[in-house]
Amino acid sequence: MNVIEVVGLSKNYGSLQAVRQVSFRVAEGMIFGILGPNGAGKTTTMECMIGLRNRTEGSITVLGLDPEKHRHELFNDVGVQLQETVYQSQAKVFELCELFTAMYEKPLNYKELLERFDLSGKIKSTVGSLSGGQRQKLAIVLALVSNPRLVFLDELTTGLDPSARREIWTYIKELQDEGRTIVMTTHYMEEAALLCDEICLFNQGEIVAQGTVDEVIAQADIDLVISFETDGDVANILEGLPRARHIEHDGRLVNIYTNTEQTLTDLILRLNEGGIVYRRIKITYPELEDAFLKLVNSTTKGAVS
Amino acid sequence: MFWKLTTLEFKLQLRNFMTSFFSLCFPVMMLLLFGSIYGNEPSSLTGDRGTVDLMLPAYTCMIVAVTGLMSLPLTVANYREQKILKRFMATPVQPLQILVSQVVVNSITTLVGMVLLLVVAALVYQVQFFGSIVPTTIAFLLVMVSMFSLGLVISGVTPNARAASSLAFIVYFPMLFLSGATIPLYIMPKAMVTISNALPLTYGVRLLSGVWLGGRLFDYGVEFAVLLGTILLCTAVAIRYFRWE
Repeated sequence: MNVIEVVGLSKNYGSLQAVRQVSFRVAEGMIFGILGPNGAGKTTTMECMIGLRNRTEGSITVLGLDPEKHRHELFNDVGVQLQETVYQSQAKVFELCELFTAMYEKPLNYKELLERFDLSGKIKSTVGSLSGGQRQKLAIVLALVSNPRLVFLDELTTGLDPSARREIWTYIKELQDEGRTIVMTTHYMEEAALLCDEICLFNQGEIVAQGTVDEVIAQADIDLVISFETDGDVANILEGLPRARHIEHDGRLVNIYTNTEQTLTDLILRLNEGGIVYRRIKITYPELEDAFLKLVNSTTKGAVS
Repeated sequence: MFWKLTTLEFKLQLRNFMTSFFSLCFPVMMLLLFGSIYGNEPSSLTGDRGTVDLMLPAYTCMIVAVTGLMSLPLTVANYREQKILKRFMATPVQPLQILVSQVVVNSITTLVGMVLLLVVAALVYQVQFFGSIVPTTIAFLLVMVSMFSLGLVISGVTPNARAASSLAFIVYFPMLFLSGATIPLYIMPKAMVTISNALPLTYGVRLLSGVWLGGRLFDYGVEFAVLLGTILLCTAVAIRYFRWE
């Protein structure tokens, strides 16, 4: 079942087209990532799904409802963490939790949530005295108080140190294990690769790739690199190696760019025939970050490629 | 839910040193300072009333200036900049409730400040209240609503919290010193009095002082009209320029 369906979404701010003809679906129980450079339209798209912005064109269905018309029906089932929200620094943790608890029909016990997010010791602290990681955990707690089926997380881990980021990742996985659907935007490719079941990559208001992380990497069509070290002279042996697109020699190191592992078999056969001794042979596969950079660069209009 | 929100907002306001000091402590300190200098003996200069008698309505206007021109617009501008208004839009709370709770909280602070003033003045200087309740309440509400609406204009027309704070100071200080709220206008040079006639709060001080000391609302038609006009104009401008983010 699809929790979210977005079809042909466009959003203009005056003459600026922030989002153009965007379509995607999010299935129940999945972690869905929205990636893209700054200003690509990620947050705008998310805010249209939450019902904080009215779209210019297209249709959005969230949990079977149109967020623009049924914002209030959706609030009990949708938890939200917004990118730039800074809660009142003089407010105490329990005061904000109690306020949010009072807003919802069937709230979760916030003390248990704080316990789970390791914030119990901070219950009487002011927001201003929390660390960056603690603030983001509080933002998740406040998003979860309503016990939502669907959680939107907008750049939750931006600005956090690596250990705080890893901690948050385990919490996000836990939310998924509880059966919640999660839609998140992020700038961190390793985060998306680790957490997201599906991603869509935005650039300049359009989706330039979508699917599982592996599918998006495949769409970028980046060569894998077979590399090894040798003292022998391999220039002749490698001449005309099938499917090798490009071969680099750098002292003892040889890099072969190809689009298939088949090249490795051919390579080893040739090295054996030639009696070449080789070491440290390995295949480097393209990562999401490589795909991100290539797809963004190749779809950026007006840029020199 | 609304009361939970308002209670929290009230606590936050009390924790804000600037607001609580200038709306609750500062007026009382001024009262005690100038009361100890001038006493509360009736004098011909002050229309046969004591100086402290005159201070009470004026200092009440001073409190309204703090809550209406500083606290209200700065809080709203901050909440907008910190995306708190936007965050609440994604909850069952109507964002309008946040604005209303801000108005309620600042009204309560104003009232508490005024009551503190009255209590101290009554205990220390045995002041009397010469007016009657209904006209004084009407005058008080007019003054408060006019300053609050002006405050919402300040938060509406400024792009961010810094600008709101600058504009609030630009509006607040002349209102504070040149309207008669802090310094009586009868000791001011003529040029200053001319400037003060351009400030809405001047009319608020005149109206509230007038009815406080026993005058009738009827006698203050101009003041009444200026304040009402301020409310209508500012409310229209505030609605026109208001943004949630």
